[in-house]
Amino acid sequence: MSEDPSTETAEETRGAYSWIGKNVTKPDALEKALGATEYVGDMVVPGMLHGKILWADTPHAVIKRIDTEEAARVPGVHAVLTAADVPGSNRFGLAVLDQCALAEERVRSVGDAVALVAAEDEEAAEEAVAKIRVHKEHLRPILTYADALDPDAPKIHDGGNVFQHTTVRKGDLDKGIRESAAIVENAYHTHRMDHVPMEPEAGLAYVDPSGVLNILVGTQYPYRDRRQIAPALGLPMNKVRVIQAPIGGGFGRKDDITAEIHVGLLALKTRRPVRLVYTREESLVANTKRHPMAMNFRTGAGADGRLTFLDGDIYGDTGAGVSLGAYVIKKAGIHATGPYDVPNIRVDTYTLYTNNLTSGAMRGFGVMQAAVAHESQMDQLAHKLGMSPLEFRLKNCLKPGLASSTGQLMNEGCGIEATLRRIKDYMSARDLRFKRPEAAS
Amino acid sequence: MKQRYVLRVNGRGMEAAAEAHESLLDVLRENLRLTGSKKGCNEAECGSCTVLLDGRPVVSCLVLVPDAADRDVVTIEALATDGVPHPIQRQMVEQGGVQCGYCTPGMIMSAYALLLDNPDPTDDEIRFAISGNICRCTGYGKIVKAVRAAAVEMKGQAGNGGAAS
Repeated sequence: MSEDPSTETAEETRGAYSWIGKNVTKPDALEKALGATEYVGDMVVPGMLHGKILWADTPHAVIKRIDTEEAARVPGVHAVLTAADVPGSNRFGLAVLDQCALAEERVRSVGDAVALVAAEDEEAAEEAVAKIRVHKEHLRPILTYADALDPDAPKIHDGGNVFQHTTVRKGDLDKGIRESAAIVENAYHTHRMDHVPMEPEAGLAYVDPSGVLNILVGTQYPYRDRRQIAPALGLPMNKVRVIQAPIGGGFGRKDDITAEIHVGLLALKTRRPVRLVYTREESLVANTKRHPMAMNFRTGAGADGRLTFLDGDIYGDTGAGVSLGAYVIKKAGIHATGPYDVPNIRVDTYTLYTNNLTSGAMRGFGVMQAAVAHESQMDQLAHKLGMSPLEFRLKNCLKPGLASSTGQLMNEGCGIEATLRRIKDYMSARDLRFKRPEAAS
Repeated sequence: MKQRYVLRVNGRGMEAAAEAHESLLDVLRENLRLTGSKKGCNEAECGSCTVLLDGRPVVSCLVLVPDAADRDVVTIEALATDGVPHPIQRQMVEQGGVQCGYCTPGMIMSAYALLLDNPDPTDDEIRFAISGNICRCTGYGKIVKAVRAAAVEMKGQAGNGGAAS
């Protein structure tokens, strides 16, 4: 680099400030390798109480009454709280405020929290949770796509069970069908998936001498957390401080509220620091998952091996809360054609409320589910046309100058062709062949 | 009812008052405040709580305190000597084997137990040794690379007068 920064060339500037191509050691890696990093579950502060949650444990019910007297009498218990004790809106959610911090008149999923306990130790908190009596009237749970689409089914939220319908339209579908020499039609289902970050969710909260509620949490997004916590607890934004603690894996799920509102409420009510750490079982039952999707795809190609059309429907189960589901499922629709040039498209997506676990962001954000369908379709079409699956993809992949399903023009950063050619070279050098799928025969 | 247990942790005698049904992990974390051993599942699935018990790697969430009494327990906190990281710790950092870090202490303890027994392991032996430790970030490749690099480094140190810790 030049001595005088004013004579630095643009390339030098880029070189000096770019990390691309350089080995960089994570600043916090050594502390973690030494075992010295304190995650929230490792933290202890003087006077700290332990929080525990009573989960709904039933997918769909009306809450008639909650008896907390017996729980409150357990020695060492400082607070037993229900929705009636929440001083704010009690609502949170990333797309819409459709989730309750503590269940009000309705339980919508087994992962809904119903009551909270703070006690001197975890054993007392657990004992108190076991003594809370929730009187429920069970409702018919909506668990399948068909149930959610049935207009006569019970409504999980007031607006109905179809939260969102999106469309992708391009070209002329009928023309695409007419020009097809081969058509494959299949139904694909992907399953619900937990991120399983190695650190289960945890939070530690305290009210400081200036009256600010401080919440330490391994979160992906402290400012968005604060925007949800403050109104839910009836506090002005400047009375809530979210402190980013080391995060033991998130993969999307810690985009959402996890322990924040619960542990914050317990600290507000007890005026003591409170730590709340999920067990693995709680982590699996509560908080967001990857969306299960049902995808019905019909895809065609001409005798020349060029894709002619995609005609598809995608149903996404977002569970009892939308979280980021509206964006995830819409994105699955936008990516339904994968990295391929499809001239004629009809794709509809439906974001459905069910009484299953709430689904939200997870690595890939809807694109992974769509890939299961579009790549299987590609293999089966190649087989039907008697083409190599690799050659079929090379013929149809997006290249600079072509446009995506939504009209985005490909220019820089469109690497699918180069990637496929590298795979081709690798495979020919080793005399490897793709196996053809059995299902298409 | 709580009883007093004498544990030898990281070469030092320590006392802890605990119930007989409490796990070694809980006593290490809560009573002795050694929180380097992590609680990822509390049911022996994830390996985050791996420590050495009489030189063998164990998931400390499944060891009851009475069963650990009067035996040698080694935790992640003992691996660095006088502030100098152990070669496995340093290589985990340098090879990019650490991301969120939550599995890292348990992973390092499993690798440490391996290298005590087998100073020159194959990649398959490394993979087998850490097969009880789940990592959700790295995909394991860089961890295997780090353990291999640490083995090479430790052999070099042993050849130079046995300086390996």
